[in-house]
Amino acid sequence: MLIEIRNLTKSFQKGDETITPLRDVSLDIDEGEFVSLMGPSGTGKSTLLNQIAGIDKPTSGTIAVNETEITTISRSRLAKWRAANVGYIFQTHNLIPVLTAYENVELPLLLLPFNRAERQRRVQIALEAVELLDRANHYPRQLSGGQEQRVGIARAIVTDPKVVVADEPTGDLDSATSSHILDLLKRLNSELGTTLLMVTHDADAAATAGRQLRLDDGRLIDESRQKDELSLAVPEGNAHV
Amino acid sequence: MFKFAPYLLKTLWRHRGRTMLTVSGSAVALFVFCFVGSVQEGMDRLTSQSDSTLIVFQANKFCPATSHLPQDYDQIIGKMPGVQEVVPIQVFTNNCRASLDVVVFYGVPAEKIQKIRDFDLIEGSWDEFESNQDAGIVGESVARRRNLKLGTKFSVGEVKVTVAGIFNSSDRSEEDYVYTHLDFLQRTPGMNLVGTVTQHEVVLDDSADAVKTSSLIDDEFRAGPVETDTRTKGVFQASSLADLVELIELSHYLGYACIGLMTMLISTTTFMAVQDRIKEHSVLQTLGFSDSIVFALVLAESVLISVGGGVVGTGVAMLTLAGSGLSVGAEAVTIAFSPSVGLALTGLVGSLAVGIAAGVLPAVAAARADIINGLRQA
Ligand SMILES: Nc1ncnc2c1ncn2[C@@H]1O[C@H](COP(=O)(O)OP(=O)(O)O)[C@@H](O)[C@H]1O
Ligand SMILES: [Mg+2]
Repeated sequence: MLIEIRNLTKSFQKGDETITPLRDVSLDIDEGEFVSLMGPSGTGKSTLLNQIAGIDKPTSGTIAVNETEITTISRSRLAKWRAANVGYIFQTHNLIPVLTAYENVELPLLLLPFNRAERQRRVQIALEAVELLDRANHYPRQLSGGQEQRVGIARAIVTDPKVVVADEPTGDLDSATSSHILDLLKRLNSELGTTLLMVTHDADAAATAGRQLRLDDGRLIDESRQKDELSLAVPEGNAHV
Repeated sequence: MFKFAPYLLKTLWRHRGRTMLTVSGSAVALFVFCFVGSVQEGMDRLTSQSDSTLIVFQANKFCPATSHLPQDYDQIIGKMPGVQEVVPIQVFTNNCRASLDVVVFYGVPAEKIQKIRDFDLIEGSWDEFESNQDAGIVGESVARRRNLKLGTKFSVGEVKVTVAGIFNSSDRSEEDYVYTHLDFLQRTPGMNLVGTVTQHEVVLDDSADAVKTSSLIDDEFRAGPVETDTRTKGVFQASSLADLVELIELSHYLGYACIGLMTMLISTTTFMAVQDRIKEHSVLQTLGFSDSIVFALVLAESVLISVGGGVVGTGVAMLTLAGSGLSVGAEAVTIAFSPSVGLALTGLVGSLAVGIAAGVLPAVAAARADIINGLRQA
């Protein structure tokens, strides 16, 4: 099991009010899985993603990624861990505006022990994977929205991380561009074996994933398994009748 | 850290307007700091001169125009123990008060100048000077300030001198003086000075004690005909400049105030840069940038700006100090504003320290910022 989440609860204090978007959530994700996460706005999808990506800590519960328990390690070790193990694709690409596509993709590599030649090799592979090698020296403002998002994807995969999380990666894009991005993510998963967890609003986008989860009222529902269970349950039920 | 240089430099360049303004502001602050520092250094040089030279002046007189000692005192002083050389000097200045344009003439027996001063003639010749009564050799800064060339005749009041040489000296304040023949200055029309001088400069040998010799001289002439007041050259110059000392001390604080101002300026700019990039820093941290890297990046930004300003400000100050030959003087003693390696180093090290001091708080703020809050910003 690549990701093991046990009894995860996350609360936020907003003045006197306590919001608990995640209540006792448990989830397992296998290496190489492509998992989508749907749910109404404000239900805690991003919050769950951020716990897995190690940029936020839960109120209680545990998360083990590749057998590393990430909820208890220090802020600085967590940063190092993220650099080596997590790729994060944002809704708005969040590229650094002063850096070229190439330099943006290279950023995470600067944190790892790679020499210049190795960095160059990896950036080229990543840009090639998102079909943007010819735009390497363009600045974000010189790229279209879809291209920017593809650079964001290249930046997330360039370190060859254990897990890539994507928070509504097509949320800001038109439908043609969206389907291009989704194809790309699917290909990364199937061809490179990247483990992917994608939050989305869009049912069609969610359907691209091999496994669909839904977050509702702090609880996680595994829709694909439910379908399996239903299809199994029906004949059993009939038997009872 | 070197790997992040493109990010750092491009970030600064992106806000080049702001960056340039802050660098310029810092440069101005450091310029003032160096300028004030050079005045202080000049004064320290004058007042801390070695104890082996004494100045004998008329008692209870302050301006050189009012001190009149018999010239033949040099015979008596010359016989005292420990005295190596006595040089009678007539001083003439256009301005006894504190002023930025003081011209000081020192009338000295021509053959003695080279014994008591280490002047290097950069133009003209000693022969030319020694063989012409109205000849003068002028210090390099006076020459530059007054645009004097070899052969130029120039006059201050009734004194009319022809430039026979231009000298420089290891003692930069000497370059603010004009040296003439003693009897030439004594014969200045309108002044009846033959037989008297303003002061005697007494060079002591290693065996002599400055304080004892000073008392010896003053005791000798207590009964007249003219009472003397003898002090070491450093003390004498310090008292001549007494009016300026407090002003210079004050301006020294102004120099520190400039450094304080520069720290605030850079700190403000760096805080603004951090606030503009809350989300960007959160993105970097999401990618795996640690607190310490973000801290170092922000600190480096602040240091680059301040050292940039430091290099420009110090550089311009040194060039100005070297090129302008500025000085301030009072009672015929001038403080030269001159550049020095020590001052330049102080400026550069100071700007580095300012960059670190100014950057620490913004850098801590950036490093400690909450990643999630940063990402949730529009
Ligand atoms: N840092 C935070 N501070 C306070 N409340 C937060 C914070 N992050 C998220 N929340 C709240 O938690 C809930 C879930 O947020 P989020 O995970 O962003 O939802 P989703 O991504 O599903 O739209 C929302 O009600 C949101 O207002
Ligand atoms: Mg969200």
